[in-house]
Amino acid sequence: MKKLFSLVLVLAMILSLAACGNKDDDKTGDDNGTSPTTAPDDSSDDDATGEAVTIKVFTNLPDRTTGQGFVEQTLFDSYMAENKNVKIEVEALDDEAYKTKFKAYAAGTTMPDLVSVWGQPGFIDEVMDAGLLQELNAADYADYGFIPGSLDGFSKDGKLYGLARNTDVIGFYYNAKMFQDNGWTVPTTYTELLALADTINAKGIIPVAMDGGDKWPLYIYMTDLLQKIDGTGVMQKTADAIANADFSDPSFKKAAELLREAASKGLFQTGFETTDYGTAKNLFTNGQSAMFYMGSWEMSMATNQDIAPEIRDNIRVFTMPLIDGAQGKATDISAWNGGGYSVTASGAQKEEAIKLLNYMFKPEGWTKLAWENGVCMSAQDFSQFATGNETEVQKQFTELVKSATSLSGTPLGDMGTSEFKTQSSDLTQEVSIGVKTADEYLQGLAGASK
Amino acid sequence: MEKTYSNKAIIVSLVLPGIITFIFAILAPIILSGYYSTTDFSGLGDFTFIGFDNFTELFKDKTFWTALTNSLLLAVGFIVIQHPLAIMMAALLDRKGKRAEGFFRAVYFLPNVISVVIIAYLWKFIFNANFGLLNNIVEMFGGKGNINWLGTGNAIWSVLIVLIWHGFGWGMLIYYTGIKNIDPVLYEAAAIDGCNNKSMFLRITLPLMKPVIQVNVTLAIIAALKQMETVYLLTNGGPGNETQFMANYLYKQAFSSFRYGYGNAISVVFVAICIIATQVLNVIFREREER
Repeated sequence: MKKLFSLVLVLAMILSLAACGNKDDDKTGDDNGTSPTTAPDDSSDDDATGEAVTIKVFTNLPDRTTGQGFVEQTLFDSYMAENKNVKIEVEALDDEAYKTKFKAYAAGTTMPDLVSVWGQPGFIDEVMDAGLLQELNAADYADYGFIPGSLDGFSKDGKLYGLARNTDVIGFYYNAKMFQDNGWTVPTTYTELLALADTINAKGIIPVAMDGGDKWPLYIYMTDLLQKIDGTGVMQKTADAIANADFSDPSFKKAAELLREAASKGLFQTGFETTDYGTAKNLFTNGQSAMFYMGSWEMSMATNQDIAPEIRDNIRVFTMPLIDGAQGKATDISAWNGGGYSVTASGAQKEEAIKLLNYMFKPEGWTKLAWENGVCMSAQDFSQFATGNETEVQKQFTELVKSATSLSGTPLGDMGTSEFKTQSSDLTQEVSIGVKTADEYLQGLAGASK
Repeated sequence: MEKTYSNKAIIVSLVLPGIITFIFAILAPIILSGYYSTTDFSGLGDFTFIGFDNFTELFKDKTFWTALTNSLLLAVGFIVIQHPLAIMMAALLDRKGKRAEGFFRAVYFLPNVISVVIIAYLWKFIFNANFGLLNNIVEMFGGKGNINWLGTGNAIWSVLIVLIWHGFGWGMLIYYTGIKNIDPVLYEAAAIDGCNNKSMFLRITLPLMKPVIQVNVTLAIIAALKQMETVYLLTNGGPGNETQFMANYLYKQAFSSFRYGYGNAISVVFVAICIIATQVLNVIFREREER
């Protein structure tokens, strides 16, 4: 009896250990970023037939039915239809969650094959330095029509590591009908903008819906102001300031003061510093605010069927107005090439992922689809795809880029390391709500650059 | 049977799974964390050994102290506001609840059943300065209704209210279970002796609840120090770093700033603080018991 009891105990122990072992195996798979439910199928597919290919895509576009996510998914679907042996598995997360999981993937041994990246030092430098990205053959893209300079952020030491998705322009979306009904005009100077804010506030309407909770729109606003203050060379000036940990240039102080002035005079909604992206956008699309400060990637609001037609059809845009006594012209705008794609060096299907990437960025791919659906402006020449059915806001953005005399380049917070980005985001939020003075802010930026 | 228990092979075989789990799931990560805290690892690529630089920087880091102060403030909030209310509510439910006892118990426990994400967004909307419920109520009573509840100065108190509210049901349930375990004969005897409700609570309920209170207070302090999800979703430590908490700051440094080494330094200090807090509480409660 005793022996039997001992035997049962030992058996129970072995079983429990075996169970632990299995769990650990599963977890390892998960940590490495392979989907626990599908990973085994993938490997067996590959090994068994030698033809079936599963490309794993990790993207920052979680909405697969509208906007850029829709364009991306459409391209994947058509690629799979043309290549029956290819299966594309998509994992999509919002920007911040995406960046966190990207790092978790990077810490493992295998990454997804095709990933979203940002061609800005704050994100891509560390990733390129760690050797996580596969070099692409730049000659492949010679006739893809990429706008000159748009791939610079994705390159290092003359080697290309990714392709830019869009040309991003920042602006004030406004409700033209609301403006017309109230007799408001588009401001041409910053003083007029602040005066307009007073008038709009008096009506009980929010002048500008600002996503200050995410903080990055605030440092883009800073860069936007810098562009209007200096006119040219903003990106270089910012890069130098970070490199030398010296933000004493008067333009930075002026921009910080103008940002603070705007917030204190009620240009943005109460509590803008804790309002997130979705809520800020809803304030505008519900008609609670007259304007919305956001990038050209939101031009698809004009075709979004979920937005009431009286607002959707009246969305227009203007860029940061002129600043009195400053050098920037109306045509000196804030624009850059931000998001894009890279193939990972450790992905299991590198070659296939490059084929997919090349397919996506054929001019008749992303560029055409994005433009025809009124989603965004590609980083490639999209003029050939003009349909004549463009929304007003699309036409305005096209005109803005066409007539631009200078572009700001990468926004302030994205110019340094990840740490600089975090700190500059916090600092810009703090200066905008008056917790820090302009001088403290600039000292903080200098400190964050070290 | 005794022989089985004294057989060393059997003892080892029974203890081993637990020890292995402990080593790989707890001990090894803590040691690794200690190791990484002495490096400048970004989480990607190579790293170098930098000694105690991260710790030196940490003790000069204003945000770290803000986060620690906020965590301690929350712990005080739990002990001074949440737990006295929870004990009183548990006693009230027990004595006066009657048929509605189960209903109220469920109502107070409800926030614990709802996902933290939903709780955080629910409160985010309640606090919203432009269309939030709270400002609408203020307006109804003649106020201006433009209070920035999550803005600078107010944010920390708003966050504390949410956290205290959210954990209330859990604390209450444990106290309620404790009260239910008190022999009703004691109350009957006290009633015969002419004891009123207040005296019964102070002289019977509270003294007999000591072990429960000890466990609950310890759990509350650890929960306050570990606070992360609700804060992350509600304010993410903002505006600036005004509502920063220890765990959230650790996460921010390691995963937003890509300062994995520094994040680990915070975690090492964090673990040390948790151990010290638990030990201090043990000493306090032991001294009381000895008296």
